[in-house]
Amino acid sequence: MAEINAKAYFILIVRLVLSAAFLLAALPKIQDPVAFAVSVEGFRVIGGDFALWVALVLPWLELVIGFGLLIPQIRRGSGVIIALLLIAFIGLHFSAWARGLDISCGCYGASESEEAPNYLWLFFRNVGLLLFSVCVLVRDWWNPRLRAMTEGESTS
Amino acid sequence: MPSLIKEFALIAALTLTGAAYSLVSGLSPLPWAEPELAAGEIRLTDAQVLDVIWLDARTIEEFEEGHIPDALFFDEGDWDLGLITLMNAWLMDPRPIVIYCGSESCGTSKRIAERLRATLPDAEIYSLKGGWDAWQK
Repeated sequence: MAEINAKAYFILIVRLVLSAAFLLAALPKIQDPVAFAVSVEGFRVIGGDFALWVALVLPWLELVIGFGLLIPQIRRGSGVIIALLLIAFIGLHFSAWARGLDISCGCYGASESEEAPNYLWLFFRNVGLLLFSVCVLVRDWWNPRLRAMTEGESTS
Repeated sequence: MPSLIKEFALIAALTLTGAAYSLVSGLSPLPWAEPELAAGEIRLTDAQVLDVIWLDARTIEEFEEGHIPDALFFDEGDWDLGLITLMNAWLMDPRPIVIYCGSESCGTSKRIAERLRATLPDAEIYSLKGGWDAWQK
């Protein structure tokens, strides 16, 4: 029983950290989409109007899935999207690193725009968050109560 | 699996509602707006009117590939050498100094400008808005 509680507490902490990471990333970008658009274009992967739409929509997605990780009805979907986003971010940072781009990450808004890019730190931070998301996802995927709740709703 | 699709649909709906709120509420300037000029930045058109000392803060490879005419190369990692080169030019003919890096989103020019302001308090020092990309446009 003690072991189950320890596991449950661990997953709860991991979930809260992951949720906070996405909420803290989303809020400054929602407040200042112009600065985020500059960061998105700086990666030189997408450009033009598409980059501007990404700058508008992505922060809201981060906000929704940040909260979603705490809401049973969209918990699994949020976990899947968080994992996919983190994989995409790791790929983007690697690509920027390989191309020697001198850009700000833009991950947590414009406040870090003057800092030199520390790609190694970004890599380890995102890999850590990805591991957290896998922990949460595995837990939620095999959670019979959560499955019953969401599948029960979908069949009713 | 159908429940997961339902979850994705709900997440998409909430996300689009939020984005639509940003579009219509005037919560903050939209990404289509021109980025504001931050303190210590200068637009290319203004810099071109002035007779300035250009400092290129990109990598040596990028500098050799192309740079603003008469720009001096400034390696942030080799501060003393860059400073001596700059001082030689500035003391001979004191003019505003404009530093540029690769693009709007690079922070190197802003960092160097900040350090130079502390080193050369009498000099007029700016970082170029939009960086090398702005020059190429």
